[in-house]
Amino acid sequence: MNKIKITCTVNGEAVCREVYPNQRLLDFLREELGLTSVKEGCGEGECGACTVIFNGEPVTSCCMLAGQAEGADIVTLEGLSKNGEMDKIQKAFIEVGAVQCGFCTPGMVLTAKALLDKNPHPTMDEIKLAMSGNLCRCTGYAKIHQAVAKAAAE
Amino acid sequence: MREFDFYSPTSVPEALELLRKYKDSNAIVAGGTDIVIELNERKHTPKVVIDIKRLKELEYIRFEDGLVKIGALTSHAAIAADPRIAERTRVLHTACAEVGSPQIRNLGTIGGNLSTASVAGDGVAAMVTLDASVVLRSKDGERTMKLVDFLNGEGYDKRNALQSDELMTEVFFTEPDAHTATAFYKLAKRKSLAISVIGGGMRCSVDDAGVVTAISLRGGCLGRYPLQFKAAEEHVLGKKLSLELLRETLPMMHDLVLDLNRNRPWSVFYKKESVQGVFNKLFVDILAQLNMEVGA
Ligand SMILES: Cc1cc2nc3c(=O)[nH]c(=O)nc-3n(C[C@H](O)[C@H](O)[C@H](O)COP(=O)(O)OP(=O)(O)OC[C@H]3O[C@@H](n4cnc5c(N)ncnc54)[C@H](O)[C@@H]3O)c2cc1C
Ligand code: FES
Ligand code: FES
Repeated sequence: MNKIKITCTVNGEAVCREVYPNQRLLDFLREELGLTSVKEGCGEGECGACTVIFNGEPVTSCCMLAGQAEGADIVTLEGLSKNGEMDKIQKAFIEVGAVQCGFCTPGMVLTAKALLDKNPHPTMDEIKLAMSGNLCRCTGYAKIHQAVAKAAAE
Repeated sequence: MREFDFYSPTSVPEALELLRKYKDSNAIVAGGTDIVIELNERKHTPKVVIDIKRLKELEYIRFEDGLVKIGALTSHAAIAADPRIAERTRVLHTACAEVGSPQIRNLGTIGGNLSTASVAGDGVAAMVTLDASVVLRSKDGERTMKLVDFLNGEGYDKRNALQSDELMTEVFFTEPDAHTATAFYKLAKRKSLAISVIGGGMRCSVDDAGVVTAISLRGGCLGRYPLQFKAAEEHVLGKKLSLELLRETLPMMHDLVLDLNRNRPWSVFYKKESVQGVFNKLFVDILAQLNMEVGA
């Protein structure tokens, strides 16, 4: 098996790595780059815990191969805080109490970020639709949707 | 994941060259929503993986000569967001808008949906309802065939007509005109991420007098391929369209479902009920669309 070279932008920084191709984007981000906010829940595209923002769109990184990152612009939760200050979506999740065990939270926050970047003032229905691919076992969805609405209102 | 060599061609000729070279053991990855999971679970262990996601030339929606032509790499999200498809080809719009989740719609492509040829494929059900055709290319050239023939084809892995050195490049269908309405309704176990239990597709054309000139009634998930309700179609064709007429076809649909599920009697009851529920919704939707169009 030949190694492949992956050159891409992750959280605003240029990254270049030589890796074996038989890994998912999820594994590349966690194992090669140490970005452990990217969670593996189901590993089958169902739960959204592994969501990252890929060229502006939320995608499930367990459904992609590492090699598909070539040339891409990727954002994980680690890329959201600026100068040690959390993003308004992260703050809203804390303030509203939309986090319990926290396993789904990175995926939730990134999906919300991708939504608000495109549509800064979504309706509640648009929020619910955008967040429908992220599952939470603990909190229930009302608080999560409220947190996104709160962040949008700020 | 087993070991494999990985290639990421940036043009179709380059991809075809690679497919030919590694004809004996390759896997194409488009959106990856079906195949990456299979690779990861070692259900599939090819020697070479060819990522086609960078073939931007296969990402398009064109309206030409009365046809809608969609590049194989176009995502469900892009199809669902196209305003002209939403207005004129509702069966496809709805099917793509309801695939999986937003993340899966961003990744998943129409070419992947048709190539996987899953019994639950919503894109498959919608495209069969539209009587679509697909274009397959290899180093030797191009061939075009009806999607139903593609699905019944005896290709390299018996799933469809694809040979191991072939790439699907396009799917196209005749754009529904002002006298034609189409609709899709999916019955599924959960609201999002739901794999269809039944995905019903309907296309109906009428003349100025409201007489049915063309009709297609298809049910996804009921058989290996979207099931054609032929007796029901024949009953409606040539008659004046009404809700009563359409409802007369429900027993014919039941009979067919009953027939096909003879070996699985436990599934008959719910499938029968679901078919009725799904098609009643489609009938009302289609009539509403046509009354607006025809009456105007
Ligand atoms: C959580 C989840 C929910 C889902 N929900 C739905 C749903 O509601 N409805 C539904 O229909 N599907 C659903 N799917 C299935 C899947 O997302 C779709 O079938 C999708 O369209 C597949 O496209 P892809 O580009 O991801 O295919 P890939 O996984 O990249 O490829 C699928 C297969 O097609 C082949 N292939 C892909 N493109 C080409 C091409 N151009 N030429 C030749 N061969 C090709 C590949 O080799 C592979 O065998 C779901 C999947 C997941 C994980
Ligand atoms: S781990 Fe990727 S969707 Fe669940
Ligand atoms: S907070 Fe535990 S899964 Fe969402």
